[in-house]
Amino acid sequence: MSHITVDDLADAALLYCEKPEWQDVTPVPQYDGILFNLSVDVLIVVLADKDATDYFRAVVKSDEISERVLQLTEDIIRLNPAHYSAWQFRYRTLIALKSNLDAELALMDVLAIQFLKTYQVWHHRRLILTALHGASPSESLDAAAKELHFITRALDTDTKNYHTWSYRQWLLAFFDDEALWEGELPYVEKLLDVDVRNNSAWHHRYYVVWGRVRANGEVDQEEVLKGEIAYTKDQIAGAPNNPSAWNYLRGVLEHTKQPFSSVQTFVELYAAPARKTAEDVVVDLDNPGPGPDAHLPCVAALEFLADIYEAAGGEQKKAVEIWKSLANEHDNMRKKFWEFRIKDAST
Amino acid sequence: MKGAESGKDDYSEYDTPHLIMTYTALLSLAILRDDFERLNKPGILKLVRSCQRADGSFTSLPNGGDSDLRQVYCAFAISSILDDWSGIDVGSAVKYIQRCSNYEGGYGQSPGGEALGGTTYCALASLYLALSQSTSSVSPHLSPEERTRTIRWLLQNQTPVGGFSGRTNKVPDACYCFWAGASLHILGASEYVNVTALASFLSKCQFKFGGIAKAPEDTPDPYHTYMAVAALALYPPEGADKSYNLPKLNALWNTTEDTAEWIRSHIQRRS
Repeated sequence: MSHITVDDLADAALLYCEKPEWQDVTPVPQYDGILFNLSVDVLIVVLADKDATDYFRAVVKSDEISERVLQLTEDIIRLNPAHYSAWQFRYRTLIALKSNLDAELALMDVLAIQFLKTYQVWHHRRLILTALHGASPSESLDAAAKELHFITRALDTDTKNYHTWSYRQWLLAFFDDEALWEGELPYVEKLLDVDVRNNSAWHHRYYVVWGRVRANGEVDQEEVLKGEIAYTKDQIAGAPNNPSAWNYLRGVLEHTKQPFSSVQTFVELYAAPARKTAEDVVVDLDNPGPGPDAHLPCVAALEFLADIYEAAGGEQKKAVEIWKSLANEHDNMRKKFWEFRIKDAST
Repeated sequence: MKGAESGKDDYSEYDTPHLIMTYTALLSLAILRDDFERLNKPGILKLVRSCQRADGSFTSLPNGGDSDLRQVYCAFAISSILDDWSGIDVGSAVKYIQRCSNYEGGYGQSPGGEALGGTTYCALASLYLALSQSTSSVSPHLSPEERTRTIRWLLQNQTPVGGFSGRTNKVPDACYCFWAGASLHILGASEYVNVTALASFLSKCQFKFGGIAKAPEDTPDPYHTYMAVAALALYPPEGADKSYNLPKLNALWNTTEDTAEWIRSHIQRRS
């Protein structure tokens, strides 16, 4: 049974107070004497929730550890995926019973897809993976690899889900295994092929390429930087007005302490107002230019070029010209910010 | 089958106080003008202390639970409201906050996370709440470069329709009008927001039968309704009719200045 609806309750499960196998337990209500004034539909769901959680309070009080506690916590979670105490108690019961954690993950696969935006669903997975790692670090790598597949399936349905990406990043860092890391860059590139504006994918790229803790000398920073800049330039060429790509370029240069001016030739192609006709364009493989349909000048490129001028000595005037064009023409939304940049430069 | 014996009294490891609930409870009581005679300040500080971890972060619960910038903000807000920072190791918490800062200029939910409006607010509000606390090891201040990068990223998220998105290349959402708007306000950069466009977006988020939704044509909910109103309280549009006259908002505690004053007089100035 997946997410419980009124129809499910109407004809299916007994309430816990009706189940013979729970008769030995005295349910514990949350509060005394509070009356509800609800519609019948809502009342049915509320009563099921109240019924289950009253029994939950009872088993917490008696400190019960049993299979039926797993069933009870599962029912509560399906009714209310944010019930963090039920999740906590479920985890403690799984560990105490030495339950099969792979089976638990399979059950969670169903719930996670439905309740993708709940913190608890992902936190529970983290606890399970941590427990598997604790039990057997080498065997748990299989579980971690399976998790990456699961996360990929979850991302198929919701490519930017924050919890899902966050969990993927945690998993990679926690296990820190080359076999897990090596598939990430190809995965990110696949996602960016589908949607070059997927900022979560760009962010994950940064995480995988720059965010990983590496020993000194393990990686040739210069080679990596060259490759990343080339890749980003290509993506910008394909879709110039993409803040994700420009933010990535800026971020990478700042992280490696390279001056923005090191890509000035490229940036100028996108800060230019009019596209030259095909005959005028010189093909420069290191600096792929915008395509015929590109909307130019590109605001991010103008900003970038102004930053280059501002950083250089004696080029303030050029920066001010660009900021003026941004304020008055190309990026009117941020007019006051560009006017501030102009004022700030003259002081 | 029984687990380890529970204690004699009603305390249960599975019914503990919750850090985020404690923050919202304090604010709710202040909004309702509770006299706070029954406030158990040492108890609350004990909770906050027991939620902090070695890396400076805070969990929701003393015995675990999720942990990210939201809990840091709640711990800082609680300490600020109680005007008692003895429950927190501010220096290590600030280090955790700084580890959440991201290449785009915003702050992710946890270290390594994508820059996100809500958690950027949590980071900045925490850093500015902690200004009253100085430690010898770490300054809670931002460097001018960091401040500029964050302002840049936040402003970039004001979309062509005037509303703010929560992340780069995502659609605008009424709640991010608050998270981003309040962040810019805290950074002293509110004058760069296009207030007219912002108000125009939020007015379109109004549902015709009442309430405010996350986006135009969506159904409303209390959360987005509050966030939209809070954003408008911080950014009153010029020349608008008097329905836009809203009480002044305290951006750090995320409540009205009237409620903030109640907190100062009924929680802080006594004890």
